Amino acid sequence: MIAADIISKRTVTSTASATAQKQKIKVNIVVCLKQILDPEIPSRDFRVDSEKMEAQRGGASLVTNIFCENALETALQFREKFGGRITALIFAPAGGEDSLRKALAMKADAAVHVINDGAAHPDPLAVARVLAAAVRRLGNIDLVMVGRESGDWGVGQTGGLMAEELGIPSVSFVDRLEKQERGLLLHRQTDQGWENVEAQTPLVVTITNDDQNLPRIPKTRDIMLSSRQPIIRWSLEDLAADDAGIDVAEIRAGGGYYRVVDLAIPTKEIVCEMVAGETLEERVDQLADRIMSVVRSL
Amino acid sequence: MLDNTLDSEATRPVLWNISQSWLLYVMFAASLAIAGYGLYRRVMAWRRGQPAARFDQPWPRLKMLLTHAIGQRRTVRERYAAFFHTFLYTGFIVLFIATMVVMADHRFGLPIMRGAFYLWFQSLIVDIFGALVVAGTAIAFVRRLVHRPRKLVLNDESLRILGLILLMALTGFLLEGWRIAATADPWGVWSPFGYLVARISSLALTAKSMELAHVITWWFHSVLVFGFIAWVPYTKLLHILTAPLNIYTARLAPSGASLKPLDLDRLAETGEPMGVRTAAQLTWKDLLDLDACTECGRCTDVCPANTVGKSLSPRDLILDLRDLVRAPQAGEPAGITSTVTAAAPDSLWQCTTCGACMEACPVFIEQMPKIVDLRRYLVMEESDFPETMQQAVTSLETRGHPFRGTQSTRLDWAEGLPVKTIGEALDAEVLLWVGCGGALIERNQKVVRATAQLLAAAGVNFAILGREEKCTGDPARRIGNEFLFEMLARENVETLNRHAVKTIVTSCPHCFNTLRHEYPQFGGSFEVYHHSEYLAKLVSEGRLASATPLDQTVTFHDPCYLGRHNGVFDAPRQLVQISSRRMVEMERRRENGFCCGGGGGMSFVDEPAGQRVNQERAREALKTGAEVVAVGCPFCMTMLEDGINARRGERDVRVMDVAELLWESVGKKA
Amino acid sequence: MSRVIGIIFSSAGYDRAAQGVTGAGRRLADALGLPLQMVVVGGGGGDLAGSLAAVADAVTVLTVTGVADYQPEQTLAALTDLCRGEGAQAVLLGNDTWSQELAPRLAHRLGGSAAGDGVELVIADGRLRVSRSVYGGKAMATIELLRDPAVVWIRARAFDPATAREVPAPIESLEAAPTGEPATFIIERKSEVTGEARLEDAQVIVSGGRGLGGPEPFTDLQDLAGLLGGQTAASRAACDSGWCPPSWQVGQTGRKVAPGLYLAVAIRGASQHLAGISEAKTIAAINNDPDALIFKHCRFGIVEDYRKVLPLLRERLAAMRKE
Ligand SMILES: Cc1cc2nc3c(=O)[nH]c(=O)nc-3n(C[C@H](O)[C@H](O)[C@H](O)COP(=O)(O)OP(=O)(O)OC[C@H]3O[C@@H](n4cnc5c(N)ncnc54)[C@H](O)[C@@H]3O)c2cc1C
Ligand code: SF4
Ligand code: SF4
Repeated sequence: MIAADIISKRTVTSTASATAQKQKIKVNIVVCLKQILDPEIPSRDFRVDSEKMEAQRGGASLVTNIFCENALETALQFREKFGGRITALIFAPAGGEDSLRKALAMKADAAVHVINDGAAHPDPLAVARVLAAAVRRLGNIDLVMVGRESGDWGVGQTGGLMAEELGIPSVSFVDRLEKQERGLLLHRQTDQGWENVEAQTPLVVTITNDDQNLPRIPKTRDIMLSSRQPIIRWSLEDLAADDAGIDVAEIRAGGGYYRVVDLAIPTKEIVCEMVAGETLEERVDQLADRIMSVVRSL
Repeated sequence: MLDNTLDSEATRPVLWNISQSWLLYVMFAASLAIAGYGLYRRVMAWRRGQPAARFDQPWPRLKMLLTHAIGQRRTVRERYAAFFHTFLYTGFIVLFIATMVVMADHRFGLPIMRGAFYLWFQSLIVDIFGALVVAGTAIAFVRRLVHRPRKLVLNDESLRILGLILLMALTGFLLEGWRIAATADPWGVWSPFGYLVARISSLALTAKSMELAHVITWWFHSVLVFGFIAWVPYTKLLHILTAPLNIYTARLAPSGASLKPLDLDRLAETGEPMGVRTAAQLTWKDLLDLDACTECGRCTDVCPANTVGKSLSPRDLILDLRDLVRAPQAGEPAGITSTVTAAAPDSLWQCTTCGACMEACPVFIEQMPKIVDLRRYLVMEESDFPETMQQAVTSLETRGHPFRGTQSTRLDWAEGLPVKTIGEALDAEVLLWVGCGGALIERNQKVVRATAQLLAAAGVNFAILGREEKCTGDPARRIGNEFLFEMLARENVETLNRHAVKTIVTSCPHCFNTLRHEYPQFGGSFEVYHHSEYLAKLVSEGRLASATPLDQTVTFHDPCYLGRHNGVFDAPRQLVQISSRRMVEMERRRENGFCCGGGGGMSFVDEPAGQRVNQERAREALKTGAEVVAVGCPFCMTMLEDGINARRGERDVRVMDVAELLWESVGKKA
Repeated sequence: MSRVIGIIFSSAGYDRAAQGVTGAGRRLADALGLPLQMVVVGGGGGDLAGSLAAVADAVTVLTVTGVADYQPEQTLAALTDLCRGEGAQAVLLGNDTWSQELAPRLAHRLGGSAAGDGVELVIADGRLRVSRSVYGGKAMATIELLRDPAVVWIRARAFDPATAREVPAPIESLEAAPTGEPATFIIERKSEVTGEARLEDAQVIVSGGRGLGGPEPFTDLQDLAGLLGGQTAASRAACDSGWCPPSWQVGQTGRKVAPGLYLAVAIRGASQHLAGISEAKTIAAINNDPDALIFKHCRFGIVEDYRKVLPLLRERLAAMRKE
């Protein structure tokens, strides 16, 4: 019923000694995080600010985007198996530190906070440029891991755009990765099933969730200790100083890639509409129509 | 015949037929030394424990000692044990006194073993109590070997102890009998059982052979007795000494206040474990608890988790912990908690923190707080706990409520009601604490609505916190996340104090318990009422009256955190009684109520089908024939509705909160 | 000459998604007054190219030497060259894995802007605006792309197909050369038969509760789910009764699902069940109790014995699918 379709198995070209050397080198990983409004806020509590083009915070908290946490968890598991060093990176206003603290509590090795003192929601290219500049500044990065998309705007472009900014390849929707003799073996989800991808570093991967990479719950001791660990803080100016690709003014203004021109809550029927009709047949017809119209829109 | 022999000269020779009696004192000293060493080891072990303040308030403690150690109030609750244990316990005391009398008379020359006292007490009563010891041992043997109830541990030790006691008692009768026969004791008949032995022996043995047998048996008996004394601290008989001490140092506050706070900052600083990892984290009282267990199994017998067939057994846990802390390395390096969980990974996560075990324990051991202590270590240091509980904890962290996925908001329940938040009603006399279960589980929203409407109908000026309310932290604390509990508690106390709240009414017994017993530690002292108490008060003040009592049969399920943990049994029953025409009681009720299965974070865990506490409770509720099962807790509501719906078949049985019942009976008038 | 380019992967054929992309491309091209060029990526798209030719102005079948259907770096390079060469004004893709993987990078290489998951495309002041749902479906946003070309992946099935034109467009083939040794390489692929996909990813879920009264009706629910391209699930009460596998359980202690349509049949809607479907976009219910809690969360529903509804509904849906 299910056939694994072997596309091609390339021969290993590197020499044994080169392989051995490569294995000794620690994989240097950056995991990018985004902080978002709690996605589980009930619809009835959800309001938007159509001036600022963003959701109102209200009493809700900010949380680390779940796919970013999946990415961090995947990185942590990778480190447990193959060694490596994990740096958590965020581009966010001051409050973004909470996400970094949590990453440290989950046992990331280091944390970098690029302070966003400009537009609250810079466009994806602005974000990718800042993150890419930070990755370059960190230097010697083998693997950049980002969530497949964020739970608020769901843009799904950061990984791809970062890869282009860094001039390195990328693979999306990865849920597991392993080190093998030659580079990495990635397992990723597709619409129909999955694919295995061989990849060389440096590389950007976007991570999606599966049952293996549910973010771990940090230990209380680590949560308490994380508040004392150092966080590297860079301003946009810091990044611009040695990176020509960063236009501080443009990023503060939100970037020049796209802009949000409208944000609204669709008027939903709050009350359940019972299908009407004289006979049972008529009512079921109605029901079928409604079902089909929903299914067609998916 | 008795009257004839009543003689002021009545007595018997002490140490008749025995020479070299000084050996007795050598044996006595040796046995005391051995026992003393055993006891010393235990005491030293307790002294290594963490501190616990349990020697305050001597008067209430003495009262506890009287009722429970001397009076054995809890021990005699159980039919078998009432006989078995009372026989042994009183028998030992009487025999001990008799020995003292002998010593006083013989050694210290106090002529008390004489005349009527000798005949009535030293002969007759002692003889009877000796027989009771034999009877008690027999009962215990029969129970352990024939009935074999699951709760009793049948091990070699318990059989050896019983055998030894039986042997001591029987040899005692032989000695008495032979002495009576050989000395032709004129008062022999005052010791009826000994006399019986004498008569029977006389048929078979000559006086000479009886004398010989007497000497041999006498020394054998002495070895047994001193061996027994020496052995006490090394077996579960230790409880003879530890039980009274444990009862004297028992917790005096209601069991709702049994969890102790941790100084997490200090622990983070020093690197000592949060929660219990090894014996080093146990308090001396915990260690004493472990040494006080009589292995009676009552705790396991009443444990809801164990009742429905789960692996949790509070007695086994106590015994496992006891063995682990006594082992030379005290469970190092794995730690006692990891060793316990490795053996039964799920058990610790089956406890509903209902407290039934503590209520049942005759020697006042605190099993549940130890379970929470172990959980604390697993949750805070290992992050090792059931996934669905993790989701509840994560939700508490980010959203201040444990119900992941709820689409309700804190204010939905009040839609259409003129309910004010405390910010809008500064003069409110009462704060209605809604609780997450009341606000965010749809079914319970009706309960809070009913409560609010009743308060309004009685003219109570009340307000709510609205969006400012957060979970009290009860689930976090019982799951073992003390850190999260503290955060929530601090935040809530700050909010409540900011609004200068004095009186709180809540329809959630868990909130009730936490607000009442646990917030004072964080600087929040309030007068806290469960809604049933407050509504009953309004009824008795004539501010609410039931117009049309429900024409249905109602039974009431005691919420653990209202009933057993806080002793509130009557208020909810009063409400049921005035709002309905017929009330029936379940078998397990009040102090002995049976948990709904939802406490201690268990309402976030899917119990395996066939091992669900709520179904067992629903079965019992349905057995009463009631048409309405009344509850007083949002968790009980969920658990019992689920259980009743699964079991009621075609019967129409509703689960209703006491406030809903009252509102129905009052509301019809309005 | 500038144009609108639509990109389709040959492997899925001219399915509903491909029809949507083509339809959206046709209308966008018309609105901009530009020709529509459809690009089929991967070989063997005989039928597909023909179908596209009926609605597009040009069809290109693009292959990369040595690549069967898709390799990220190779395909991206070939598409970049093609779009650049044709002067793409706008590029449309579907919302399949590969398209989503390519779109932002393609936009970046072309110096343009990308947006995804569009459900509506409009032109305002000469710029493309994309409407999409955000905040987990709680809000709709309209995004204006500031750079050219606009690269958009769309919720393909939400767009109507285009009607065929009289003269079919010419079909040309283009074989691109690979770009050195790529740093990533797909070595293995597995397709799972639909129905085995994870419940969490299902777009349509038909779910049954204790009210079904037995295991047999679940076969009917499976039929229904099959008709809608969805999956079957259940309440705990139904799972507990042994009418379906425990892995079907949705709720607080079961799976948390986020389908576009959740049809609850004979499920009361206890909060523990609802906790598993809070992310569902549309909930509908069949229940004979008008006061069942589930209806409070439904967009639409029917108060009726499921036994009467299911056979008719099935018949009707089957008929609609044929149309
Ligand atoms: C700790 C805990 C965790 C739980 N976790 C979950 C969970 O993860 N998932 C979950 O689902 N539940 C969970 N539950 C159980 C939950 O509380 C409910 O008991 C359960 O969801 C009820 O399932 P149901 O709606 O199928 O059954 P019922 O409550 O029995 O409802 C049956 C429904 O079918 C309708 N009906 C009956 N006959 C017909 C007919 N002929 N035609 C149409 N409609 C009909 C009735 O009107 C009713 O609404 C949990 C409970 C607890 C205590
Ligand atoms: S608190 Fe209740 S559930 Fe827990 S061990 Fe004691 S009796 Fe059992
Ligand atoms: S803990 Fe208490 S109730 Fe349980 S077995 Fe020991 S003495 Fe008995």
